[in-house]
Amino acid sequence: MYEAVHANPDGDSTVARFAATAASVGYDGVVVRSRSDAQPDVDHEVVAEEYGIDVVSGVELDAENTSQASGAIANLREQATVLVARGGTPELNRFVGESQRVDVLAGPMRGRGDVNHVVVKAAERNAVHLEFDFSRVLRASGGERVQALRGLRKLRELVDHYDAPYVVSVDPESHLQLRAPRELLAVGEEIGFDRDQIRTGLESWGELAERNRHRMSEDFITSGVERGRYEEDS
Amino acid sequence: MKHLPKHLRPRWRYLAVELEAWPDADVSQGDFQRSVWFAAQNLYGDTGSADADLRVLQFSFEDGSGEALVRVRHGEVERGRAALACVDDVRDDPVRVAVRGVSGTIRAAEEKYLGRPGESAAEASVAFAGETRPAVRRGDLVDVDSEGGYVGATNLDC
Repeated sequence: MYEAVHANPDGDSTVARFAATAASVGYDGVVVRSRSDAQPDVDHEVVAEEYGIDVVSGVELDAENTSQASGAIANLREQATVLVARGGTPELNRFVGESQRVDVLAGPMRGRGDVNHVVVKAAERNAVHLEFDFSRVLRASGGERVQALRGLRKLRELVDHYDAPYVVSVDPESHLQLRAPRELLAVGEEIGFDRDQIRTGLESWGELAERNRHRMSEDFITSGVERGRYEEDS
Repeated sequence: MKHLPKHLRPRWRYLAVELEAWPDADVSQGDFQRSVWFAAQNLYGDTGSADADLRVLQFSFEDGSGEALVRVRHGEVERGRAALACVDDVRDDPVRVAVRGVSGTIRAAEEKYLGRPGESAAEASVAFAGETRPAVRRGDLVDVDSEGGYVGATNLDC
């Protein structure tokens, strides 16, 4: 199971600290989802080796509107293994859902954000994973939390119905905000998810990383076409 | 009051919990207990929180790291876990709470999961992001005192 983290300078903890903490509570890997203007300057492989946990390069796009997003998606796609685009308005959610090159639509229900069947169907068609953002379930209280729970429920019902891909994250900005997978299963169950749903959501980060690493490898030409073993001999 | 006969006594499970915070955090057992109760009540309301009956039995905390033993009703372990996951700060000090393990007796929990001699914290001065900054080092973990508050790092970073 993987967690996607905002590493310093985007967050308050470095990639290494996130990796150390995530490894100690039972994750198999972390995806670094720092914003493009605040990318950490570390060698992921060194960190991965030191703490025995997979470290996946990623980038989060926090665009203000769709035109800004469309330019940035093309630029950022090549930079990182996992491309996360933050939603937050209905227009942006729809745009990201329709962008094949994006892996994850983050925080679709945050702020003014909302989704409908159109967005979820588009995301399903384009394999854009919708994020169940647990940050405000764990770290907010009162009305804000009620809104977050309401948003999660709506998103869950739509995702269930259209069988859309999804990820689960607590969107941590420091290692103190990380929670163990078992704890998240328990919280998920309490707020109406299946334990398997949460597990799938946490595992999806890893599957995305694996898929994209494969796609970015030299042997991959296009979907279904790969460099075979015997090419050099012929 | 005379205590209950054995077969009528409630059965408990004991959660061994590890705590982590920034080095300047000041967390007492009473404050942590309050936070746990609030978290439980906010998550599943008065009835659920009475059912789970979470209580902090043992507690130690120093220099940003600590551990605690939390009692929960038998059969409510997962709810207890969920409530503990929702404790994100104690008196405005952000904390990380993680359950190390669950046992049926206090003694088993202590022996299996608690009382690990933690690395002691020491003040240090480290090179971080091109500057020399004061920091608190705990084994491999380093909390750097930077301008905008603490930054969590490890020996790899500095």
